Amino acid sequence: MVITDARAPDNPISWVNDAFLDLTGYDAHEVVGRNCRMLQGSGTDPAEIRRIRAAIEAGEPVSAELLNYRKDGTPYWSAMTVTPVRDEAGIAYFYAAQADMTHTHQREVSMRGTNDELERLVAARTHDLSAALEQKTALLHEVDHRVKNNLQVISSLMLLKARRTPEGEARDALQSMAERIGALSTAHRMLYSEGDCTHFNLGDFAAEFLADVNAGLDHERRRIEAEVEPIAVAAAMAAPLALLIHELTANALRHAFPDEREGRISIVARRAEGGMRLTIRDDGVGLAAVPPNPAGFGRNLVEMVVRQLRGTIVWADAGPGTHVEIDIPLLSPA
Amino acid sequence: MGFGNAVTDAALRILVVEDEALIALELECLLDDLGHVTVGVAATAAEAIAMGRSTAPDVAFVDIHLVDGPTGIEVARVLSADPRTTVVFMTANAKRIPDDFAGAIGVIAKPYSERVVASTLDFVADHRAGRATEHGTPDGFCLAPAY
Repeated sequence: MVITDARAPDNPISWVNDAFLDLTGYDAHEVVGRNCRMLQGSGTDPAEIRRIRAAIEAGEPVSAELLNYRKDGTPYWSAMTVTPVRDEAGIAYFYAAQADMTHTHQREVSMRGTNDELERLVAARTHDLSAALEQKTALLHEVDHRVKNNLQVISSLMLLKARRTPEGEARDALQSMAERIGALSTAHRMLYSEGDCTHFNLGDFAAEFLADVNAGLDHERRRIEAEVEPIAVAAAMAAPLALLIHELTANALRHAFPDEREGRISIVARRAEGGMRLTIRDDGVGLAAVPPNPAGFGRNLVEMVVRQLRGTIVWADAGPGTHVEIDIPLLSPA
Repeated sequence: MGFGNAVTDAALRILVVEDEALIALELECLLDDLGHVTVGVAATAAEAIAMGRSTAPDVAFVDIHLVDGPTGIEVARVLSADPRTTVVFMTANAKRIPDDFAGAIGVIAKPYSERVVASTLDFVADHRAGRATEHGTPDGFCLAPAY
């Protein structure tokens, strides 16, 4: 505690208590008669001093925190309140109470230091993660690019060999393999095109696949139509579904319309309870009219893929034509 | 092959810029089937530019990744500077194509089908002859914004 004489020149200290002497390290005779600025030093904030001085001149109470110095020169943080004490003639004294806030200050400073350090660590970590993500994205693009390129090479290989194979069964087999790879390629091309690499839009695939197949057909005689809802299926189902749709349409084109018979094939995919229903129908000669084919690779492939997709398949003679109905469960109703 | 219909009038002279030998060879066969003429196959930027100069092709199919790196874009820029040549990118790396398409008319995304190549060439032939396109932009072919 300090009391200063407001009426004496330069507002000198007139009384101090023992706590003040203990805190500052001075004896009473060293401080009485002097202004409190004797406690200030090079680290004291001049703005805070101006604020205290302005309050004293205005005769208003003020609270402040100042870095002050002891007699031995060591600094300490002093939290003080200065209150004017008035008598009839005006302000007679100022009464100042102070507390040593050095520990609190140190805590604040070290807390700020810890915070800064944490923020620095977070920034460094974020930077590392962004760099890792960038690397992974580049890698994904690279892999995607390679897969596409390899699919092109595989399809080129098949077609080249087909060109050099005399017309007949072997050549047809090579050509239909190339077409299967083509269907898988279309699926793969669509897989990452929308930026979403976890889902595959069956509607988009059907549109592209159909445009491709129809381009090779004589529209006056044969035509494939599709009514496929924009169903988002898991990316893992893209290839099997592409293969399935390809096999069923190719099978119909191969067997349903012998002897230049005209015809129409329709592909319908709709959401159904718990999954989707895929219906492929043609108005051709029907299953019974086709001689049994023990090799039947296309049909085998279809049944295998349906099993893989945990689905069920029903082949029926629709009179006219063939009607294939496939139910496939979809796990995530996206 | 049962496709390709607008090329009955004139065979196109085509330069293939592709570093994957099998893809280039198959493409050559396909172009031959379609009644076009392959004037050269280049696997590097320098080869492509030199062949472009010496042959002044009607159409250049340009892959982006060549033996010497992602130099196909520069190749497209140089080749398309010749008004006689229409450049079509043919790449599995369509994301690398700049906004101005480096002067190319569009891109066929790999893996492509033979039918897309055929219908794109019909489209390009119509475009070069100043004809209205019969079937619109082919599926699987993406037109540059400038066209």
